[in-house]
Amino acid sequence: METETRNLRKEISEKLKDQTLRDALGRFSEAYPIARAKAYENAGDIETLRGALRQMKIDTVKRIEEVADRFEAEATKRGAKVFRAKTGNDVKEYLVNLCKEKGVRRIVKSKSMASEEIDLSKNLETAGIYTTETDLGEWIVALAGQKPSHMVMPAIHLSRFQVAEYFSKELRTDIPPDIAFMVQAARKELREKFLQADMGISGANFGIAENGAIGLVTNEGNARMVTTLPRIHVVIIGYEKLIPAIKDAAAILKVLPRSATAQLMTSYMTMIAGPTPAMVKRDGKWVEEEREMHIILLDNGRLRAAHDDKFKEIYQCVRCAACLNVCPVYTLIGGHVYGHIYAGGIGAILTAFLHGMREFEQFQELCIGCRRCTTVCPGKIDIPGLIEELRIRNVKEKGLPFLLKQTFENVVSNRKLFHGLLRLAAIGQKPFQSGRLIRHLPLFLAGMAKDRSLPAIADTPLRDRIGKITKKIDKPVKRVVFFSGCTIDFVFPETGESVFKVLQELNMEVLFPEGQSCCGKPVIALGDVETTKKIARENIRALMEMNPDGIIAACPTCTESLQHYAELLKDDPEWGPKAETMAKKVREFCSFVAEEYGKRGRLTKTGGGPKVIYHDSCHMKRVLMIDKEPRQLLEAAGCELIEMKDADKCCGMSGIFGVKYAELSMPILERKIGNIRDTGAEIAACACSGCMVQIQGGLDKQLPGVQMKHVADILAENLKD
Amino acid sequence: MEITHEIWKRHFPAENSGAHLFPEFEMRAKAVSGEVFRVAAAAEAREALIRLVDAVQARKAVVVESPLQEAAGITAALRSRGVTVYTEAAEIAAHADTADIGISGVEFGIAETGSVFQDGYDIATRLVTILPTLHVVFLSSTHIVPGITEAFDIISQSFDRGYVGFITGPSRTADIERVLTIGVHGPSRFAIIAVDEEPKGGDA
Repeated sequence: METETRNLRKEISEKLKDQTLRDALGRFSEAYPIARAKAYENAGDIETLRGALRQMKIDTVKRIEEVADRFEAEATKRGAKVFRAKTGNDVKEYLVNLCKEKGVRRIVKSKSMASEEIDLSKNLETAGIYTTETDLGEWIVALAGQKPSHMVMPAIHLSRFQVAEYFSKELRTDIPPDIAFMVQAARKELREKFLQADMGISGANFGIAENGAIGLVTNEGNARMVTTLPRIHVVIIGYEKLIPAIKDAAAILKVLPRSATAQLMTSYMTMIAGPTPAMVKRDGKWVEEEREMHIILLDNGRLRAAHDDKFKEIYQCVRCAACLNVCPVYTLIGGHVYGHIYAGGIGAILTAFLHGMREFEQFQELCIGCRRCTTVCPGKIDIPGLIEELRIRNVKEKGLPFLLKQTFENVVSNRKLFHGLLRLAAIGQKPFQSGRLIRHLPLFLAGMAKDRSLPAIADTPLRDRIGKITKKIDKPVKRVVFFSGCTIDFVFPETGESVFKVLQELNMEVLFPEGQSCCGKPVIALGDVETTKKIARENIRALMEMNPDGIIAACPTCTESLQHYAELLKDDPEWGPKAETMAKKVREFCSFVAEEYGKRGRLTKTGGGPKVIYHDSCHMKRVLMIDKEPRQLLEAAGCELIEMKDADKCCGMSGIFGVKYAELSMPILERKIGNIRDTGAEIAACACSGCMVQIQGGLDKQLPGVQMKHVADILAENLKD
Repeated sequence: MEITHEIWKRHFPAENSGAHLFPEFEMRAKAVSGEVFRVAAAAEAREALIRLVDAVQARKAVVVESPLQEAAGITAALRSRGVTVYTEAAEIAAHADTADIGISGVEFGIAETGSVFQDGYDIATRLVTILPTLHVVFLSSTHIVPGITEAFDIISQSFDRGYVGFITGPSRTADIERVLTIGVHGPSRFAIIAVDEEPKGGDA
């Protein structure tokens, strides 16, 4: 498929200006989590359901050929014709020939993402076959000459006024922007198409090997029309939809409607095994005949994924789009920027496999790795993990852009040079600095500091303060190493001081190895494995040299990165075992201190302190699974803890993303600041230096009365000197 | 060929099913805009249907017979009310699109979701269920299973080939501005007449 080079920033900018889209998605992202939770109320344990679906799909993909063979055999036995299509072109050829042979001129289609994936309608049109999309949303999008912007709600980006315009044009009469009226107009118009069609094309939500049945989950009833009225029924189904047994459909149906539309069940759930009777008009009389049923089993990259150790995971997707509905980026800009028809994180992965890496690399940065999708995906797919893997493969294949490559290889992985540059930056920023924040930036960089101040590089980094803050501990209970990460070292050295103070007060010896550098996260996030390995080896050497009892990091991303070295270096005979040993020693600050306080009976609520909210950093909560401990610590330090709305929703920083896509990052931050404002808190606390950069900047510009603090700072302030 | 409609009852569980699940079923069906009329016996089922027919001023009905409908004498009652009734496949094909009401029987209900399960292998059944604006189904109020999983225990043993499915309330869409709108392609009204008394003559 041809690929144009896109100007993603411009596309994003246009979407951000589309107020209809912004309003619709804003309302939806507010409503969805509540509706979904309600739909699951009577479903039993949701984690059990997710686990069951995941396991069933994992077992299926392992033997996908066998399952496909059985599906084909059983469907054939019952009278359906099964055609295996390797590519989209195979599908088009098969269908054009079939239409010619059977004299088909008019086709009605119910929803089939696979058919849109291969741009089927356009191709049939070229062959002189008139095709109508009958799903209301798909029809609207087709009339608008657009592509669906959501897998379940294709026209969510359009307003009733826009729809009325498209309808008026198509139906050549003035259609008012009244939703009920428009739905009736569509019913009338499309009813004629159903009754006149020679062929119905449907997709499938699942295909059952046991009896060759296909399953359709719909609300409007159009799929029932498409499979009931025309004399020929063609199903287009991807390999990933196959399941072994009839009973396995229950695992999908328990979660698909609930996750997709927050319904307990859709209006229609239909299963069709083999051809069924049709009524056909012959010489003016209605007679019953057996319908023709064709099933096109589409590969188009799917079997390659099935045999890929990592990407077989996409078979766990049931296309519910829950991942889009909670994605902080999707819910701002909608689906069109993701290129083809599959939107959001899972869409990025599917597009990479079905349309190629060239497509993927143009919008892969839109995943900010917040992992919110992983908490709702019914198939428990590690969407951000797969995206990171795709980035790694992309870099392996094509390398990084020159400048970035130079920066990573020559600067970030060279600690002395990197830190030297950061020190230089501390001087270079002076003209723009106001106190500890940069409130304005010149010209083209202005957008970055428009609704958020950027933190200034500290005059004296943490590493230059160590001598002053290290206390001599006589009989230390533990000897720990502090891994500060770049941000605490160079931007928030005071937080580093707080960490020292808290740990030393626990009678621990705290060491700061000079040789420690960046944890490597920004490098691996862009897919550069080799440079990350180099960084990892240096850090392991520096941190383990001192033979510590524990390695403490006060940033979840750093913690995660250090722990991940074991996986990163697993094939390295020298460094692999060292990384493994080190990983066991790495601890996140809050959970470590909470444990130590607990042992000493100090993890109890005290009171009398300020009103504080706690923001859950994405990686703290969804990678390290730590959310209780920081809250307990705040209460132990006397704070009055107030829960804010969406405490665990991304603040929009996400490393480099927050700076590169400042325009996109800002609306995410604005919501966060608004939620903080609503609580009336005096202090916003978190335990991640990246979030601190973002939220502190937002508070400074939008809510200056509220201070941003790391949990360590609050604990340290609470200690007597 | 054995079709689901004829054999599902053999696999219907004697335990963990029944009229005690009906209140939950009714609540769920109503929550999705289904209309539910529970009656004790056949005669009342007939009255419930006539009230619906009168309410929509139905002139034309397409009907696929089921034991519950036969026991209640539905077709005759409609005709005596002046409604034109079509029951043959060819007639149904010609008239379902313009009929005011479609009537059919369903196999069982699912409490968890308020759905009814129907075997639609018969083409007339499908035309009746999808084309008219009002669809009325007859259900035995003892034929209720707790959930989707239990429904699939029955289906997996009785669905070999054909066309089966759940119907859960009327046809709906939220494709324009996410505003829920009832009755896009299929029926805009879906009514369930549930009868406590088992029809005479044993198996369906």
